[in-house]
Amino acid sequence: MKRKTRNKYLLYVVASVVAIIFIYPLYILFLVSFSPTRYTLDELFPSQLLSHITLANFISALTQYNFVAPMFKSLEVAFLVGALTLAVAIPAAYGLSKMNKRLANLIVVFLFMANLVPALVIAIPISAEFIKAGLFDSVIALALAQSLFTMPLATFIILGAFRAIPKDIENQARVDGMGVLRTLYTLLTPLAKAGIAVAFLLSWLTSWDEFTFAVILSPLKPTLPVIVYINITEGSLVQAAAFAAVISIPVIVLTVILQKYIKGVYLSGGLTG
Amino acid sequence: MKQKKVKIELKNLTKKFGNKVVLDNINLKIYEGELFAILGPSGTGKSTLLRVLVGIEDADSGSVIVDGKDVTDLPPNKRNIAMVFQSYALYPNMDVFGNIAFPLKIARMDKQEIEKKVNTAAKLLGISEILKSSINKISGGQKQRVALARALVRKPALFLLDEPFSNLDARVRFTAREELKKLRDNLGSTFIYVTHDQRETSNITTRVGVLNKGKFEQIDSFENLYNTPSTTWVADFIGNFPMSFISKSKDELIGFRPEWAVAGKGSMTAKLVTNELSGNINYWMCETKDGHMITLVGNMPLKVGTEIHFKLKKYNIYKNDTFVKQVNVK
Repeated sequence: MKRKTRNKYLLYVVASVVAIIFIYPLYILFLVSFSPTRYTLDELFPSQLLSHITLANFISALTQYNFVAPMFKSLEVAFLVGALTLAVAIPAAYGLSKMNKRLANLIVVFLFMANLVPALVIAIPISAEFIKAGLFDSVIALALAQSLFTMPLATFIILGAFRAIPKDIENQARVDGMGVLRTLYTLLTPLAKAGIAVAFLLSWLTSWDEFTFAVILSPLKPTLPVIVYINITEGSLVQAAAFAAVISIPVIVLTVILQKYIKGVYLSGGLTG
Repeated sequence: MKQKKVKIELKNLTKKFGNKVVLDNINLKIYEGELFAILGPSGTGKSTLLRVLVGIEDADSGSVIVDGKDVTDLPPNKRNIAMVFQSYALYPNMDVFGNIAFPLKIARMDKQEIEKKVNTAAKLLGISEILKSSINKISGGQKQRVALARALVRKPALFLLDEPFSNLDARVRFTAREELKKLRDNLGSTFIYVTHDQRETSNITTRVGVLNKGKFEQIDSFENLYNTPSTTWVADFIGNFPMSFISKSKDELIGFRPEWAVAGKGSMTAKLVTNELSGNINYWMCETKDGHMITLVGNMPLKVGTEIHFKLKKYNIYKNDTFVKQVNVK
């Protein structure tokens, strides 16, 4: 009994340490973006606490730079990546869930091949092809390229969700008169919606803060991460911080909304169940 | 007697998983209105047989004929066979009504018609009150009724049930069996169900097929399975106690049920090994001189090792493990 409570406290301590490590950079980001520069960047040892709040950084960032177009481009690309990824990953995961489990797991490992090589290595040949196809700087080109990285993980997650559905439910649907495709889209997809939501969220987020493809495939009409990069290279660190804060907000909001779906089950399910 | 109509016929049905033969050249005819049980120990292909019949699994060879029509190559939705899975396989994202209405919706029936049919089915199974309930909030017995209702709204040619009673409490199980029989009588439909428990076949079935290693050892009424099992394997498998055997000659055995023997007198003897109380009746498990285990009805527990005399009123003769004849002793 005593040992149990001690373990519990220990767990809280460890969790807190991990949380602080992860949250600290984000905290500094918000600190820099909301403070006048003389309290942060201009000091050698800046205060770790927020003493003076200002929106000046945001105002200058949002007025000096064209913010709206990159934001819409980022949103368009992110939603397109989410949609493209699901459109491929759902049928792919369904197919894999019907296969011999070992073979399916092996295929999933191979799907992750693209994620093993640096994005740059893939981005350069792809952009060469896209220039030839007249897709340079377009939303669809960037979305297609980013989907390369999101599809394997999405397939893996949705595969886990499909495997968790009892086989007999699908068999029953077939006995009740459904064809294969209808079973997949009207019965299994709703049943796997938690896993699909997670897959969509992760794909959306991956695209939202993706940089390498964005800077190579779409440098003239950039997305938000590219704008941040341009700001940093131009030396306007404070504006970059403001932009970065703006980028983080939808990420935080989405994660909070969808966190009830993000259970370990859907992330490990591909290998168990 | 009027010739009964064949509802489903299996011809030379064979199914293999890899090298393992699960269903071995099965031939079977089931007649209209039968309540047919497929009985066998686990892992003998009972469920596989149902799955092949309904079309979820493909047979490697042979054919399935329903109402005179070969359905072997048809997908499950074209076979007009309903199946209730062991897990009941209710759709968790729909309520009771949605589950029962589902096959009708798939068939694109109009709304009022669906409502009427669902209500009729629910009434027949006594689940009218829970139509609006969520699947997760109803009991095992109710789940089974929902699954049955969903099966029967389609008016299928026949019903297949996989271990229909195994997920129920022991107390509900008994009434569920009677209700299944009543349902059969009401609908006049053909039911086939699979079970590993012979007690679930004794009262309600028209016939029982005993499946062993992918083959039917015997297809008969339960009474005949008990009295004249066609092989020593069936004799061993059927009954609260396996049939007792003693040697007659080198390849012949004498088999008898406990109640066919009279203990206390007679020329044969056996040594008591254990007393076994089953219900109200005491049984003596004995060992004969040549090492066979036999079961006798005894009125009271006796000391282990007691020598018991017995004689037989009735017995079966088996040659090479196959039934030859039954002998009544005058």
